[in-house]
Amino acid sequence: MTDEIAAPPAPRADSRSEAFALGIAVAGWIVPGLGHALLKMWGRALACFLTVGLLVFFGAGMRGNVFTSSGNDAFDTLGYLADLGAGSFYFVARSLESNGPDVSRADGDYGTRFLAAAGVLNLLAALHAYEAARGRKA
Amino acid sequence: MSAAIVFGLSHLQAMLLFALVISIAFGFLSRRQPIERIKYIVWLLFLFLLIGVGIGWAMYPFSR
Repeated sequence: MTDEIAAPPAPRADSRSEAFALGIAVAGWIVPGLGHALLKMWGRALACFLTVGLLVFFGAGMRGNVFTSSGNDAFDTLGYLADLGAGSFYFVARSLESNGPDVSRADGDYGTRFLAAAGVLNLLAALHAYEAARGRKA
Repeated sequence: MSAAIVFGLSHLQAMLLFALVISIAFGFLSRRQPIERIKYIVWLLFLFLLIGVGIGWAMYPFSR
């Protein structure tokens, strides 16, 4: 009974660890794998960096559509949000694709999916790093 | 000066590449031990290919 009363919350430590976890998530979003690298999860960091990087590299190489903020409809906006998930690699994709997208061929269509998958995968990895920083995932 | 890199992959090559990359990412994110990771990656890759080829064949009667 007394234990329940004598267990005060520790908001300062909690808010600090929450801010740390958020910082890890943002770092992981901006540079794929950086969140895990900061947590010394080297294998996962390398895997995230390489897989997101490969998807962006091939997606841009296949002349997929790198969506911009000036989309015409909801699908363009969703595509833009998915592409933005790749963080800094979004700009890498734009710089790699100097000839612009070509979705008239199947290659370009696949490339669009590769780029969106890279963004969503990176968001998933950043969320994983966030949870790991909070101690919820090993 | 244009330094664009352009790839021309077939449907199967694109599917294989996608399945392999996503399987590796999921394997590393969701498993800790190397053996468990390899097993999970191989299993996911198998499922990706099985379902991908299966859906392809399921659509075949409607392709003409």
